[in-house]
Amino acid sequence: MALNNPSRRSLLRAPMIIPASALGLNGQTAPSNRVTLGGLGIGGRGARVLTSFLAQSDVQFLAICDVRNERRETVKSMADQKYGNRDCAMYSDQEELWARKDIDAVLIATGDRWHTLLSILTARAGKDIYCEKPCSMTIAESRALADTMQRLGRVYQAGTQRRNGANFIHAYELARSGKLGKLRTVHAEAGPGNRWPPATTHAWLPGQPEPSKQVTDWDRWLGPAPWRPCHPSYVQGRWRGYFDFHGGGILEWGSHTLDLCQWVAGADATAPVEYEPKGMGADTPYSIRCRYADGVELMLRDSGFLGLGSCHIRYEGESGWVETADGGRIAVSDNLRSEVRDTPKEQAAEATTNHVRDFVDCVKSRRLPRANALAACQTHIACHAAYIAFQLGRTLRFDPATDTFRNDEQANRMRSRTMRDPWSL
Amino acid sequence: MFAQQNPPPQPMTDEKYGTAQVIMALPPAKLVEILKDPGGSPYAKAKACQRLAVTGGPEAVPALAALLADPQLSHYARTGLDQIPGPAADEALRAALRTLQGRLLAGVIHSVARRRDSAAIPALARLQHDTDPAVAKAAYAALAAIRPPL
Repeated sequence: MALNNPSRRSLLRAPMIIPASALGLNGQTAPSNRVTLGGLGIGGRGARVLTSFLAQSDVQFLAICDVRNERRETVKSMADQKYGNRDCAMYSDQEELWARKDIDAVLIATGDRWHTLLSILTARAGKDIYCEKPCSMTIAESRALADTMQRLGRVYQAGTQRRNGANFIHAYELARSGKLGKLRTVHAEAGPGNRWPPATTHAWLPGQPEPSKQVTDWDRWLGPAPWRPCHPSYVQGRWRGYFDFHGGGILEWGSHTLDLCQWVAGADATAPVEYEPKGMGADTPYSIRCRYADGVELMLRDSGFLGLGSCHIRYEGESGWVETADGGRIAVSDNLRSEVRDTPKEQAAEATTNHVRDFVDCVKSRRLPRANALAACQTHIACHAAYIAFQLGRTLRFDPATDTFRNDEQANRMRSRTMRDPWSL
Repeated sequence: MFAQQNPPPQPMTDEKYGTAQVIMALPPAKLVEILKDPGGSPYAKAKACQRLAVTGGPEAVPALAALLADPQLSHYARTGLDQIPGPAADEALRAALRTLQGRLLAGVIHSVARRRDSAAIPALARLQHDTDPAVAKAAYAALAAIRPPL
C-alpha cells in the first residue's frame, strides 16, 4: 500500500477502535471486506442488475449519477429502501461520482453509446467496472476498452451474464470435455425476429423542444454520439435501432450468444477470420457464416433453432451436439441423453446474480472475471465485423492480430466512429 | 430484453433530398453537392458527411472542412474527414487548429490525434497551454497520442 495514497479498503484494514457491528460481529460484513458501489445511468435492465448487487451482503451502494432526474430518484429510492436510510447520493455529472474516494466499483448501465467511454474514464478514476452489454460501438472501442483495463489493472465484467448461467455452463462443459468430439460448428442466435433486426437506420425523428437540463440534459444524454434534434422517444428507451446509438440486432444478441460461442471455441483472445453474409432481404432469414483460423465455423442466424427460449446457442462436434437457451432447457444428440438434465427455471434465472457475485469476488481477489475485458473485446469485435459484412453485403476477411480487414478499405473505415466533441477515448 | 411495443414515430424526410436511406445511397460527388448547397438542411448535410466517411476521397475534403466551424455539423464534418486517407484531410484539420475555439477546437484536436498527424505537433505544443482547459487537455492528450512512449 502506498502510504501517501492509501485506498479506502487498505485504510480500513489498519488497526483502529470501531464498533462491533462495523467489524462484522453482528451478522454484518466488515467495511474492509465490503465492496462499495456507485451507478452510472441505471434504467430498466440496470435496475435488475442493481437488485442483484443489493442482494449481496458485502456490497454497499453509495451513489447514483444519471442525466435524468426521475431515474436518479428511482435508484436512490431502491438503495435507501434497502439500507433503511437516506444516504444514497445523487449526481448529474459523472465527475462528481468519480471524485468519491470511498467508491470501489461502478455499475454502468447507460445507453450503448456511452459504455466504452464511461468504462475507460471510470478505470482512469481508479475504480472497477461492471458494464452492461453491448460494451462498445465499434471495433476500435472494443480494443481500447481491453487495452485500458489491462494497462490500469482494473477488474472489468461485461454484463454478459449467461457465462454464469447454469445451463450455458453445462453446454460449455459438454463441449470442452470432448463429449461432442472435435468441435466443428458453433451457432449463435442473433438479430431474431422483427423486433431485433440486424439492420439499423440513419434516420432522425422530427425535433421537439428540449426539456430543462434538470429533467434531462440532452447534450449529456447524447454524449459522444452525433448531435440530432431532441425527441422524447429516444430518451424513453427507443434509441435502439438508430445507427448513431445502437450496433443493431447482431450486436444486441451476439454480445450474449456469439460470446458463448467464442468461449466454447477457446477464442477469448481472438476472433473469426472470415465473415460471409447471406439472406440479406428484409423479409428473408439472414445468416452470417464465420470461420475461425483453426477451421471451426461460427453461424450467426435468426432462425432454425429448436425453440427452447431466447438466446439460443448450439454446439456441434464430430460425435454429438448440444443446444440450449434461456429458461434452462437443454437438447442433445441421442448419444448424449444420459449426460444432461434440464436446469430448473429458477436456477437458470440466477445467471445475473451469479455474474454479479463473480464480479464482486474478483474485485476482492483481483482475479479476472468470467466476462473480462479481453473476452468481451473479442466478442464485440466479432459482432462488429459481422455487422460490417452484413452492411456491405460481401464476404470479409479479417486479421485478428491487427483488427483490420484484408484488402477492403470501406470495411476498415467502418471500424471506428468519431466521438462528438469534447469527448474522446 | 427491451420491448418496443408501439410503432415508433415517423422519421424526418428532407424536402429536397429525401430520406436518410436515399441520401446515403448517393455517390460521393452528389454528397459533396449537398454539403455545398446553401439551402441544404442540417439533416441532409449530416447524412452526407456520414456516408462520405465510408466512400469519400480527397475531393470531398474542402466541402467537409467548410463545416468544421458549424456548431451543429462540425462533428459530422470530422466524421468524414477522420476517415479520408491522405494529406488533404490532415491539412484541413491542421488549418482549423488556427481558426476554431472552445469545444469545436477540442474536437478537431481529437481528430488530429486520431490521425497521428505529426505535422501538427508545433500547433499542439502551443495549444496545450491554451486558457480553455478542454482545449489544453485535448492538446496534451494529442501530443501523447502522436508521440507514443518508446
